[in-house]
Amino acid sequence: MTMVLSALEYLGYILIFPGFLFCFFVGLLLAGIDRKIVAKMQKRVGPPILQPFYDFFKLCGKETIIPAAASKTTFLMAPLVGLAGLVVLQMFIPIHGWAAFSGTADIIVILYLLLIPAMATMLGGSASGSPYAGIGMSREMVTVISCELPLVLVLLAVGKVAGGDSVTFSFSVISDYQLANGSLILHPSLIPAAIAFLMIIPGETGNHPFDTAEAETEICEGLLAEYSGAPLGVFKLAHAVKLLTLSSLFVALFLGGVGTGIIVIDGIILVLISIVITILTVSLVHAITARLKIEQVFKYYWTVVSGLALISLVLAWYGL
Amino acid sequence: MFEKLINESAAKSPWLFHINAGSCNGCDIELVSVLTPRFDAERLGFKLTGSPRHADIVVVTGPVTKQSLPRVLRAISQVPDPKCIVTMGSCPQSGNVFKGSYSVCAPLSQYVPVDVDIAGCAPRPQAVIEGLALATKILKEKREQK
Repeated sequence: MTMVLSALEYLGYILIFPGFLFCFFVGLLLAGIDRKIVAKMQKRVGPPILQPFYDFFKLCGKETIIPAAASKTTFLMAPLVGLAGLVVLQMFIPIHGWAAFSGTADIIVILYLLLIPAMATMLGGSASGSPYAGIGMSREMVTVISCELPLVLVLLAVGKVAGGDSVTFSFSVISDYQLANGSLILHPSLIPAAIAFLMIIPGETGNHPFDTAEAETEICEGLLAEYSGAPLGVFKLAHAVKLLTLSSLFVALFLGGVGTGIIVIDGIILVLISIVITILTVSLVHAITARLKIEQVFKYYWTVVSGLALISLVLAWYGL
Repeated sequence: MFEKLINESAAKSPWLFHINAGSCNGCDIELVSVLTPRFDAERLGFKLTGSPRHADIVVVTGPVTKQSLPRVLRAISQVPDPKCIVTMGSCPQSGNVFKGSYSVCAPLSQYVPVDVDIAGCAPRPQAVIEGLALATKILKEKREQK
């Protein structure tokens, strides 16, 4: 009996609260708010906030064309794998100390799971057999490598501060530390790391000015060039969910002490903070910048952002 | 329920793919002006896509030159159903001032079923928005018939 109940509980986690349904609604809502804010900054009326929902449902009703050169199974499975990776990732991220899944080294799991959506787009794109997708794939790979180094440095700095003597790779230790000592963003040595993490968000989600891999005006949306219908919709959904994932990762790492302990209220607080983070890091940046070249993306992440994260790491190592 | 949602959404999220079939660039500029802050077609959900596979509405400008005709037909056949074909400007409807030229294949409706014609040389942005709004209604009808 208890086994059945706990199985049902986990099914609820996967399908409803931190899992699929929550990701679906909040992710698309964040994408809609992003489009609206960009439009407002360009003095336009802009699409309705529900526009990404319309886009998703419309794409579900379209024909799916599989190119003759494509490898069919990989082409169709890649978007689902990417979305599943993100939904699993969302369940590892604690909301005010509560996480559906947790472990002693869940930060390492998260590092790997963050790669899965990017890997899935690369796999799907290269399986489509389009030369545009080939160019997009190489660019996506460079973007992923660019973001990875500063991300690891940020996580190491946070782990060092929260872990004290040794670096911790456990989210529960980090959130316990923040419950006891206040949010880590107020910790002086971690302020550069927090800024670096905010700078990683547009690169990791593939938004302006780091959307070289999906440049629609030069390489026909790159990796997605051959996708149509429902698989394209799932890719767009995964792209929207990534906004939620990265902003809740920021909340878990740096704003941990904020909350009440009641899971519903904490969920709403998380959504509100995610909206603010999305507007700050994705929408405002989108409205005021133009697309960078791929080598500029690489240089930016490995000098400016990694530099900020490295400052934090050194400060944390000397216990400041 | 999902079927109804999809049918409702079909009219609300039309993505455009623009084909230049030998146009003088006048209509192309007018089409872009429709998406600028002044006219802002994105409020109706319009978005320019880079790949014909993502499109719902194909906008063809220009008098369909002999060189471009096979490419136009090929690009249109890449668009997944339900789709809507819109000709923009007088050129793809009649050939305009190029009518009778040995290198011009207009009208486009000889080769593919055209849903909406937007007349003018070049059409005003208001006319373009009206034509595209009509195309979204046709898209929804096509989706419901399926």
